[in-house]
Amino acid sequence: MINFIARRVVNMFFLLIVVSFVGFWIIQLPPGSILDVQIQRLRMQGGNIPESMIQALRDRYGVDDPFYIQYWKWVSRSLQGDFGTSFETDQKVAERIYNRLGFSVTLSVIALVFTWLVSIPIGVYSATHRYTWPDYIITFIQFLGLSIPGFLLALILLITASRLWDQPIGGLFSPQYADAPWSIAKVLDFLRHVWIAIVVLAIGATAGLTRVMRANLLDVLNMQYIQTARAKGLKESTVIWKHAVRNAIHPLVMALGTLLPALVVGETLIAIILSLPTIGPLYLDALRSQDMYLAGTILVMLSALLLIGNLLADLLLAWVDPRVRLE
Amino acid sequence: MTNAAATGTERTNIQIVSEDDVVRVEDLRLSFYTSLGVVRALNGVSFNIPRGKVLGVVGESGCGKSQTGLAIMQLTFGRIEEGRILFREFNTSEVIDITKLEKNGPEMRRIRGNHISMIFQEPMTSLNPCYTVGHQIEEAILLHQTRDKAEARRRTVDILRKVGMPNPERIADSYPHQLSGGMRQRAMIAMALSCNPTLLIADEPTTALDVTTEAQILDLMRDLQHEIGTSIMFITHNMGVVAQMCDEVAVMYLGRVIERAAVDDIFYDPKHPYTISLLRSIPRLGIARGQKLESIKGTVPDPYSTVPGCPFHPRCPAAIPGLCDTVMPEEIFIAGSQTHTVRCHLYT
Repeated sequence: MINFIARRVVNMFFLLIVVSFVGFWIIQLPPGSILDVQIQRLRMQGGNIPESMIQALRDRYGVDDPFYIQYWKWVSRSLQGDFGTSFETDQKVAERIYNRLGFSVTLSVIALVFTWLVSIPIGVYSATHRYTWPDYIITFIQFLGLSIPGFLLALILLITASRLWDQPIGGLFSPQYADAPWSIAKVLDFLRHVWIAIVVLAIGATAGLTRVMRANLLDVLNMQYIQTARAKGLKESTVIWKHAVRNAIHPLVMALGTLLPALVVGETLIAIILSLPTIGPLYLDALRSQDMYLAGTILVMLSALLLIGNLLADLLLAWVDPRVRLE
Repeated sequence: MTNAAATGTERTNIQIVSEDDVVRVEDLRLSFYTSLGVVRALNGVSFNIPRGKVLGVVGESGCGKSQTGLAIMQLTFGRIEEGRILFREFNTSEVIDITKLEKNGPEMRRIRGNHISMIFQEPMTSLNPCYTVGHQIEEAILLHQTRDKAEARRRTVDILRKVGMPNPERIADSYPHQLSGGMRQRAMIAMALSCNPTLLIADEPTTALDVTTEAQILDLMRDLQHEIGTSIMFITHNMGVVAQMCDEVAVMYLGRVIERAAVDDIFYDPKHPYTISLLRSIPRLGIARGQKLESIKGTVPDPYSTVPGCPFHPRCPAAIPGLCDTVMPEEIFIAGSQTHTVRCHLYT
């Protein structure tokens, strides 16, 4: 097992290199660079910039270097923990990303846990009470959840909540907690700010996974070993939760691998609407302004999340189902 | 037919054949309510299984033999409309009517796996892939016999050894996918016999196995049956297996038992035209090369419809027009026999 994990980690490392190379290449494909944007801005402000100054800037940022040299400079420094400097704000990329990435991952993990906690029991109930009124109602709500766009739901919730009670709009913390050390009050304040984002993120995924859980459990309930379990004299609840659910949960576990980065990226639009300082809006800005070190780093981070998520999913699946364990 | 009263008394006689029965099924009727209509799966099935004997239940696909087995376990999805399933445990005089018990209630669950257990046709899918074989057997023992985990484990290894598993400790820690089909069926038998049941319902336990394995499994079941004294209801469509395994035979057609007799009577003196055709359709050694194997003409009627009269009359070579297609024959004893019954107008 340790062998398996070690091999996967080594593979992940090489995969990340490939992803970063391709990502970096794609990011610098469009003509122009961050420098053009800045020069444009300076000109707009009325300054007449001498050609020599532009050349000096070009040399400083190294934008005339061939792409592979730029890539090498970035990667070799990244390995030492220095992801470069954001062109746009002159801040260190690491500084700009870390906080936001942390919040994004936190949000996504909470949304993921929420999704699981809701979709498994509801899916099971829906499957075991097939074609009854509660099942029809659940199905209806699921389709509603699948078909309402997240941003619309976010807006509706935001407006409703701010009308009905004192819902803070934008930001992750109230001012008095922003720089305070972590405490229960700060966590509660954080949740008060982000619950809409979590609910919106979770609803789409929950609706989908509940359907999957229901369909899968219905298949499993027709399997012979369920009849065997009943024939043993087990309680129906044991038959369902011990013998059926464990066999029906595979797709949910596999979804874990892809859901994590999907949630991180999926929150972009919602974070923009709710003005939450998470990684999504930053990524979008970085791509638009061709801030390549920033964009490249975020891309690599997201890929790493995807790979880690997949590794976790594989390990979890091996724990759930002995058939996928490697001897 | 000529003497309705006499037939009636004979029918009651059938139902108290012996005080030594472990199960007596009386006039069992079972229906499925589907969106396409009502399927009457069982239309008055009656038979009894004597203590320590093997009853073979034979018939074509869809004749209701599996549903009869599932009904005794109350595991069928159909609705039991009428009839009784009387069951008596080992060493008790108390008779329980299973149809009166709540389907998943505590009394029914106490019987399942403990006093009546069941083996299914597909060994490849009848064990849960997520748990070890040992765990699945222990589950039944812990549920019915003991709460002591170490004791349950010991009994599990014992029963695995008894069903002829080499290295039972290792098998107990194996997952089903690590075992062959024959081994899995042995594990299923171990699970079914782990609580020394009064009755074992074996629903085509060897159909999915190759002939060598089939022979081994049948030997094993016979041996264990002698050792433990369990009665077996052996559901099959294979007459060869019946000859090898069973003491008595019930032949089913369209949800009814149409002939019942000791195994020798069925093979040497079959009465019902359906039984006769069934036996003729078995390939035999010594039959002339190139001679066509007989088959029963026609097919089983559509399950959503009901056939007037004897259900076999459309396919019967000896059907009497005006009688067989209008009047349902009663179950009667063959003249001079106490055990051989048949449902056919030819013998009334």
